[in-house]
Formats: sequence, structure tokens, C-alpha cells
Amino acid sequence: MQGRTKTDSEELLKYRTQTRVLHWVHSAAFVLLFFTGLVLFVPPLGFLAEDGYTRLIHRIAAVLFVVAPLVYIPLNWKSSLQGMKKAFRWGVDDIGWLRTAPGYYFLGHETGMPPQDDMNTGQKMWWLLVIIFGVVFVISGLIMWVFKTAAPSLLLQWAVFAHDVSFIVTGAMFFVHIYLGVLHPLMRSKTQKTAWDAMISGRVSAEYARSHHGKWYQEMQRRG
Amino acid sequence: MTEKAILYDATLCTGCRGCQVACKSWNGLSGETTTNRGSYENPPSLSSDTWLKIGFAETDHGGKPGWLFTRQACMHCTGAVCLEVCPTKAVYRNANGFVSYDRDLCSGCGYCTDFCPFRAPQGDRNVLTGNARMDKCTMCTSPGSDRIGDGELPACVKTCPTGALVFGDRDRLVSDGKARVSSLAANGSPDAYLYGEKEMRGLHVLYVLGDRPAAYGLPENPEAPPLVLAWKDIVQPLGWFVGAATLLGLSMNYIVARANVKKEE
Repeated sequence: MQGRTKTDSEELLKYRTQTRVLHWVHSAAFVLLFFTGLVLFVPPLGFLAEDGYTRLIHRIAAVLFVVAPLVYIPLNWKSSLQGMKKAFRWGVDDIGWLRTAPGYYFLGHETGMPPQDDMNTGQKMWWLLVIIFGVVFVISGLIMWVFKTAAPSLLLQWAVFAHDVSFIVTGAMFFVHIYLGVLHPLMRSKTQKTAWDAMISGRVSAEYARSHHGKWYQEMQRRG
Repeated sequence: MTEKAILYDATLCTGCRGCQVACKSWNGLSGETTTNRGSYENPPSLSSDTWLKIGFAETDHGGKPGWLFTRQACMHCTGAVCLEVCPTKAVYRNANGFVSYDRDLCSGCGYCTDFCPFRAPQGDRNVLTGNARMDKCTMCTSPGSDRIGDGELPACVKTCPTGALVFGDRDRLVSDGKARVSSLAANGSPDAYLYGEKEMRGLHVLYVLGDRPAAYGLPENPEAPPLVLAWKDIVQPLGWFVGAATLLGLSMNYIVARANVKKEE
């Protein structure tokens, strides 16, 4: 099978079913957590937190947020570890991406971008934030949930602070993530299956893979 | 309306805890089952059912054991942190300068407890669901049982048999307290101190102490935690800015990118 060239009408599997389910369960939990947290963050929305129902929903969503990866990771130990390592692996092509990204995303210049792996540099940045602030969220959240009556005041104060900083960073980048995945004019291709399809059906067009994830495409070719 | 306050003279307090009982009685708070911890101080800490208690700090009186009594309850700070951190604005300041709250608005987040230098607000918390409501001393100004509004004394002051608790205009109580402190200082208590005149930009519970505040278990220099400033005055406004800038930036990108993509087509 080696050396077989995929034609542009073909499709490649980008995300397996389990990975897609994890993505959507985690995003649903995040959206719930985002809005039930937002009511404590924006003063005019404070009235929505009265009676504490938002805080109960926040806890239910928090369980999903923690349990989903805890189920996924042991079942997909190797790929999870590899994926997490990727978030911390940065090279020359990432700098090249950062340099050409404004031209691509603003002006639609589709040339000059160094070939990308299955995650491009932008996706990798988001993935890195998800890992780092996911951990900060969970630790600070656990302190506030479980040790609220037992922990010293200073620890609880730091937990609120860390939770808020994580909220600001991931909350803002969450919109960027949705925008680039779904709303950006270049992502709304009528002919190709792109990032959005990768998370829905799991498959992307071979042409899209070649032009947007060149390194990954080559790797797939090699593997046949 | 003028600022009111309580002047608590710890040197006149006998630890009878009449105030503690009167507080529970007026505010309809139930008693708590406690266990013997080897101290007469009971219950061990403030709670949603105990808004006021007397602390028994054990001391050495020239070889003999002794007690320093302290009134423990909300201090009604001028620079109240609870007011600043409450996300639902359940905590408010009333016309006399006291810090009160609307229990119906409380979300149970517990930030007031976490950030209070005296840890005065207390909630009855379900640790699993996080369901909680904050409670604390309102200086008997709770709606429906407002003694101050009716021209009465706070329940604790009304019941105090030794005159250790006095209620009145804060300005007058500050000068009364100062006079009392200088007389104590002249009579063998060189460390006598008026606590609450300046602490937290002025408390509405003033303490005449015969010793340093720490001896009574009071924080020597209570202040708003530095994290309040970093969190409420820097990080949160920054967060609103970052959020708005992100949405604005994405909208701009959409307009520019759509025009350019169309051109290329």
C-alpha cells in the first residue's frame, strides 16, 4: 500500500469516535461552566446566581468536565500521552505559522505557510491552554468545593483568584476557538470537509489535509 | 443619619454570655450541640446559628490563670471587604454605617467568609451541593426585626448587666473609649488600647482592651487581603476588557476576511 496517493475526492479520518465524544462532552461541560461562572463575574448578571441554582449546575458540569477525560485517557493511554506531549513541542514551523497567520486569517493568503502537523500552531496554542488551565481550574475548583469550610482563608482566596484568571484566559480563547473552527470565512468551505467536519464526522477532505496539515498528510501517506 | 456603634469594654466584661443568649433569642437562632473541648468558651466558633459569642482567651495573671473576654461578631467595618466581594450585592451598608445583608439575594458562594479578616460571616453549607446561605450580625437591623429603626438598643447591649456594652453615636463612643483607655493606661495597664478606631478604616464595634489585641485573639492589623485588590480591582476589570476586545477583534477579522475572501473568489 505504500506510496499510494490519495486523490482529492478521498477523505481521511482525523478524529476517532471516542475523541469526538470526549470533545463534545467536554465542550458542553465547559459551556455550562462558562455561563454559570459568568454570573458571578459580571455584576449586572449577579441576580441570576441568587438562590445558588447556578452553583449547583456548575458542580454537575464540573463533574462531567473532570470525569470525561478521566475515562478517556486510560482507554486511549498512548494517543493521549502523545497528544499531550505535542502541546509542549514547538519548532521552526510554529514560528513560520505565527508569521503567516495574520495574512492567512485576515487577507486570505493561502500560500507561504509551513506544513503543519495534525494540529496547526494555533490549535496547539489552544490545546496547551486547555491542558494548563484545565489543571488550574480543577485544582482551584476542588479546593473551593471540597475544602470550603476546612481550608485556610488565604488558600481559598488564591483559589478564587486562580479560577478567575483561568476563566478570563480560556473564556476569551474559547470564542477564538469557535470562531476559527466554524465562523471564519475561510473555514466555511462548501466543497471541502474541514476542521468542523473533523469534529462531527471525524473525516476531512484529503485536499484540506494536504493544504492545511501537510506534515500530518505526509505521515498518513507513509502509513498508507 | 449619624453613624452609630457599639463600645465594648473588655475590662468590664464578666463573660456571662447574656449577650450571646440575647442575640440568639432576638434573631431566632437555635442552640448548638457541642462537645467539651476543655474550655468554657462555647460554641467554639461563630456559625450561621451563632452570630455573637464571647471568646475566652486564657492568660497568666502573675502565676494565676485568668481570662481575657472578647466579643466576637461582625465588626461592621467601614472598609468592609464582604461588601466588595459579594457578587450578588446581597451585602449592603445601612444608614447607620452597619453592614447588613439580604438573605434572599445570597448565592452561597462564601467569598465574604473567605475574604473577611475576622471570618465573621458564616454559612450553613452542604458540602456536596454547595448549597449555602450566609449569616452574620446585622446589629439588630434585619428587616422585620429592626430594633435600631424602632429606637431600641441592639439585643446584646440591652441585656449586658455590667455596662460592658454601650450603644450610641460612633464619634462620642470613640472619645469615651479614648478616655477609658487613658485611665486604664494610668492605672497599671500600659498596653491598654482602643481597637476599631482606625482598623479597617474604622469599625462600628469599638473595643476597650486592657492588653494588646493579640492577647484577646484579635488580629493586630486587620486589613483587606491584598488579593482583593488584585482580584477585584485589576484582574476582573482586565477580564471584562479582554472579553470585549476578543469579541471586537473577531468581528473585525470577520469583516476584513470576508471581503478579502470574496475578492479572491
